[in-house]
Amino acid sequence: MNKAFLVGAALAASGFFSAAQADQLDDIISAGTLRCAVVLDFPPMGMRDGDNNPIGFDVDYCNDLAKVLGVTAEIVETTFPERIPALMSGKVDIAVASTSDTLERAKTVGFSVPYYAFENSVVENEKAGLSSWEDMKGKTVGATAGTYEAIWLENQVKAWGTGTFRPYQSQADVFLALSQGQLDATVATTDVANANVKSGNFAGLKIVDKVPMVPDYVALITRRDEYGMINFMNLFINQQVRTGRYAELYKKWIGDGAPADLTVHGVYR
Amino acid sequence: MFNYTFHWKQALQKLPQMLDGALITVEVALASMVLGIVLAILLTGCRLSGNRVLSGFATTWVEIARNTPALFQIYMAHFGLGSFGIHLSPFTSLLIGITFNNAGYLAENFRGALKAIPDTQTRAGRSLGMTPVQAFRYIIMPQMLRIAFLPMSNQMVWAILMTSLGVTVGMNSDLYGVTQDLNSLTFRTFELFTIAAVIFYAITKIINLSARLIAARLFRY
Repeated sequence: MNKAFLVGAALAASGFFSAAQADQLDDIISAGTLRCAVVLDFPPMGMRDGDNNPIGFDVDYCNDLAKVLGVTAEIVETTFPERIPALMSGKVDIAVASTSDTLERAKTVGFSVPYYAFENSVVENEKAGLSSWEDMKGKTVGATAGTYEAIWLENQVKAWGTGTFRPYQSQADVFLALSQGQLDATVATTDVANANVKSGNFAGLKIVDKVPMVPDYVALITRRDEYGMINFMNLFINQQVRTGRYAELYKKWIGDGAPADLTVHGVYR
Repeated sequence: MFNYTFHWKQALQKLPQMLDGALITVEVALASMVLGIVLAILLTGCRLSGNRVLSGFATTWVEIARNTPALFQIYMAHFGLGSFGIHLSPFTSLLIGITFNNAGYLAENFRGALKAIPDTQTRAGRSLGMTPVQAFRYIIMPQMLRIAFLPMSNQMVWAILMTSLGVTVGMNSDLYGVTQDLNSLTFRTFELFTIAAVIFYAITKIINLSARLIAARLFRY
């Protein structure tokens, strides 16, 4: 009888509390802080300035979102692989971390609509002497482990059946290996490649060619069941574009030219 | 709050890939142990030689290997040598890094073991007409390896665990590398790393148990 009573009480209690529970959006507003996971070795999306403060497109997006929520933003630096544990263990509320919205991942986390879209380019060590993306065939190539472009490149190497693919844990390590000549070429998002080549931190890099792949749409992420938050983020992304803030930040961090188109023709999302 | 639904079935489908990775992990660790033991014996020899250059070299090696993080040693083997134009594959870099570390720790184990063997044994050997090298080879070394056997199995366990640092130099075929790859594809972090932890635990347990069995058989008095 005792056991049945306890089970019943537990069920009743859990039902009661989940009905009354505030969702994540409420929690963030009442806590007064929005904690965003941002990857800070991924310029111009996330990086540090001379005083070691986090800056970049993703940092500004987190700040903007915190502002409309009426809370303060807290940037939590994570690596790409650490985003999900940080999210699931409640260390951060959302990740503004250039996360590609693959279906495989959508089984685990909740994606907003895309807030940015990357094109990808081949970057080579000048000594490799490539002239098009197809020249990567048979070379030693690498990319940041687990990213959209790494998945594409690894599959491409497998399809060619020759050459070597090496994943490194951070974008900085990829460019370091490339500038040392450990890699002949990498595929990186064009904006990130431009920023790194311009930074002068890595000698001997050259952008070769655009890569013919579907644009890498990236989205904000939070826990999969936080519909309130996901809805809010969707509207936020829409408003950023509508008000011209998206174009403004594009100009600030990436440069002149038209910001990436976030819509896909011919289908609703 | 921790808010996560486990998808064990999907994660367990990746088990064959992870076990392939575990095989690579064991291979790297074994190779690094074999090389590490040979190097450690040489380092011990250098320290005993009485030659200041040789013993200085060995002491420096041991000091660096024992007093800097293994991560640093592996990173240096890849990116450090890379900046001098020496390009090693992730596998080789990892192997060199762990071997360097192993040799340092094992040399220190061997030194401890040597202290447990009375000097008089060497002298007894010498008085029978053995050269110093022969005395070391036939009298001291077998005893040293016997005394240092269980510490050596500890180092083997340590070597297994150190392979997980290979991801920092682009290794993706070992157990940790495979797990990390699968993780970034699927984001099923907790299932995948739990499975990896269980595999690591099983490997190290097997090593410990077999070391004890071997020791019991080999070293019966």
